[in-house]
Amino acid sequence: MMVPPPAARRAPLIARLVLPVALTALAAAACGGERPAAGTGATGGTVVVAVSTEPLTLLPPLVNNVQEQMVTGLVFSRLAEIGDGLETYGDRGFTPSAASGWTWAPDSLSIAFTLDSAARWHDGVPVTARDVAFTFAAYTSDAVGAPQASQLRGIDSVTVRDARTAVVWFRARSPHQFFDATYPMQLLPAHRLDSIPLPRLALAPEARAPVGSGPFRFVRWDAGARVEVVADTTRGRRRPALDRVVFAVTPDPDAALVRLQAGEVDVVEGITAEQLPRVAGAAAVRVVAVPSLQYGYLTLNWRDPQRPDQPHPLLGDVRVRRALQRAVDRGALARNVFDSLAAVGVGPAPSALLPAELGDPTPSVSVAAANALLDSAGWTARAPDGTRLKDGRPLTLDVLVPAPSRSRQRYAVLLQAQLAAVGVRLVPQVLEVSALVARLEARRFDTFLGVNAADPGLLGLRQSWRSDGPSNDGRYASAAFDAQVDSALGAFDPATGRRHLLAAMRQAASDVPALFLYEPRGMLGVHRRLRTPSLPATGWFQRLADWSVDPAARLPRDGIGVAPAPEGPR
Amino acid sequence: MAHRGAEAAVVVLVAATLTFALLHAAPGDVGSALGEGVAPATRAAVRARAGAELPLWTQYLQWLAGLVRGDLGWSTWQQRPVAVMVAEALPATLWLVGCALTVSLGVGVALGRWMGARAGSRGDRALGTALLVAYALPEFWVALALLALLAHGWGWLPAGGAASELAAYLPPGARLADRVRHLVLPVLSLAVVSVAVVARVQRSALREALAHPAIRVARAHGVPERRVRQLAWRAAWLPVLTLTGLYLPALATGAVFVERIFAWPGMGRLLLGGIDARDPALVAGVVVLGSALTAVGAACADVARWLADPRLREDPRG
Repeated sequence: MMVPPPAARRAPLIARLVLPVALTALAAAACGGERPAAGTGATGGTVVVAVSTEPLTLLPPLVNNVQEQMVTGLVFSRLAEIGDGLETYGDRGFTPSAASGWTWAPDSLSIAFTLDSAARWHDGVPVTARDVAFTFAAYTSDAVGAPQASQLRGIDSVTVRDARTAVVWFRARSPHQFFDATYPMQLLPAHRLDSIPLPRLALAPEARAPVGSGPFRFVRWDAGARVEVVADTTRGRRRPALDRVVFAVTPDPDAALVRLQAGEVDVVEGITAEQLPRVAGAAAVRVVAVPSLQYGYLTLNWRDPQRPDQPHPLLGDVRVRRALQRAVDRGALARNVFDSLAAVGVGPAPSALLPAELGDPTPSVSVAAANALLDSAGWTARAPDGTRLKDGRPLTLDVLVPAPSRSRQRYAVLLQAQLAAVGVRLVPQVLEVSALVARLEARRFDTFLGVNAADPGLLGLRQSWRSDGPSNDGRYASAAFDAQVDSALGAFDPATGRRHLLAAMRQAASDVPALFLYEPRGMLGVHRRLRTPSLPATGWFQRLADWSVDPAARLPRDGIGVAPAPEGPR
Repeated sequence: MAHRGAEAAVVVLVAATLTFALLHAAPGDVGSALGEGVAPATRAAVRARAGAELPLWTQYLQWLAGLVRGDLGWSTWQQRPVAVMVAEALPATLWLVGCALTVSLGVGVALGRWMGARAGSRGDRALGTALLVAYALPEFWVALALLALLAHGWGWLPAGGAASELAAYLPPGARLADRVRHLVLPVLSLAVVSVAVVARVQRSALREALAHPAIRVARAHGVPERRVRQLAWRAAWLPVLTLTGLYLPALATGAVFVERIFAWPGMGRLLLGGIDARDPALVAGVVVLGSALTAVGAACADVARWLADPRLREDPRG
């Protein structure tokens, strides 16, 4: 049981119940009077985004889901932002943000970031180098457990040269060290947080009322209902095109779509193939394709679920894995489940981050080849239901499927049918997420329908597929793959890196750690009055500051609660 | 009354204990509840913060000790005191269930009276059939149908939430109107089924009361029919009061799913979120409060019966 802070334990019940509610009411009243400054002309307007779950925290190192990232991405800033090309070699693919510039040390083992003199926290305090050092300490603390901590292993320390200069020191040179220093961390306000012990960071008031230095300022969080941020017009830097963004909690996806069609919300993410006709039929709504770095796969467990030191009795044989690979028609599956909203997966990374010359390294579908492979592996006898047998043991595999994912449930059923054609019996086990993750952690599964979201630097390849990767659920172990990945990620010459990456992908296609099934294309339902720039693959919400509302199509709600104010520089 | 209070306390404790134990027995924990694709180190840090490694008995006794002190515990999901979370969500659920109960009683009793007074007529039979259909409908289905028809189809009412996203900036009158508009669909979803139940019980009770010898005697003495029906209804009101006490838990359960569909920020959201997040203190806290409120509701119904029925007041055992 979590031990609450001493104050919370000692305070009488009435104080714990009534005081927070009273304070919340006071805060709400105060916020009600705090009218965000409205933009004029091309700027201005309110965007309401339907989100499926409420955030749990708004402190970036503790953020674990997309809904939280949406808010923190607007409220907080990084030292530099990655461009649309997702180029992670050196610093050429990055644009300044909280840092106005940077200087590499001659030996490339440190980078000195010069902070923008106009960068301010939303409480008015300047952003300083001390904030950068504190941010690094928070992200790398074991007590905090930030998901990005593993990406920061290459950084030795962050020191403060002066108030406006933070120096990031690296353990070794690497082609992606600028990415490591900038992309994983959103800056935290040291002046508000450094008095709190890091193990108690989650309990900080800023976890529910954050103070950032990003383009939007936090205004309110109505529990279970909405989070509201407004354009920060006080800072000397670029003003967002929108006045305000409201994240409205709408757990039911069908209800979210109804709210979009009714004009109550402006954006709904995760539009499915089944919902597309309804969205297309709504005059006020359009569908926007979202580039994605996700890929879906069927992980094959290489180790025996009962005796992890032994190979899997069925999937430990590469002929069986290759037979599954040849038996599955990935194109037909993707069309059936996603219609045109997914492409066929090519490997343990999204094709957007892989060299174009890779093509599809997976051998073409062939039931005859799959049958031949299984025959050669000794699975020649058949049970009355057609399932192959070897030494009296049926070729039966379970497949874990998360209950909330309709698409993966459909995949399980279709895979079941395709594999039955070659005598493999697949038994879907649809589990609630927590139960499913518990099975994955215990490695008690044969196969698992998973989805991975890659990061621009492909550093997750090591986490998810390298033999010692902490998220390598299927325990894929290939020295050749490991070596090629290490060489690819460590190469300073992009051409050399691409060559090793190609080799790594071809090795994976040969080893078959998983069947790489699809790459989903995200679909947003967006009100037609919104003007959207090109959406980045790292998350459609990353550029919300650049979205705008057509001045001729403003709604009454765009102006509710916003006061005319002079614009900041654009 | 003291006896009933002790009974209620035991029921609440048993319900909370079972909830606590069952949630631990379910596969997964606060770390696995973070979902797919989370780094093992992050799960480990969350487990350490939540004290998930402590033995179940230790966790339970700590929670029980807190409960005795009036402390509902600490939410591992939202990292806040459960009491604060409940204090935020409870008013929304009470508002929703209270309005649904009022509508159910008002409409149900009126329909039951009308049917009971015209038992066997064509109108009675038609309405009886309609109520039977309404009774057979699950609340979540009613909610989805109303949502599709009144919010999406005709656009008359908002599709979700307890208020518009910018309601905080509206003047008080407009804010109240906005809240009422958002209340209509969830209340209708909950009330459709309970109106059917109340009406059928009221009709049946009224028929029995009208057939009572005392009513025949009243009619024989020339008491006006309007007055006769009033007397009969007073007797027929008692089963409805009893039903109200018993029906409160069902209404609260239905509210959990209706709250999800209409994104209503109430106790149902906390309960489902707590279960998903494997947050034993929160789930047990919601169950404790829900059980206690149900017990209070049942006690209120008993008191109302006692006030309404002179026989109970005169019975020394009552």
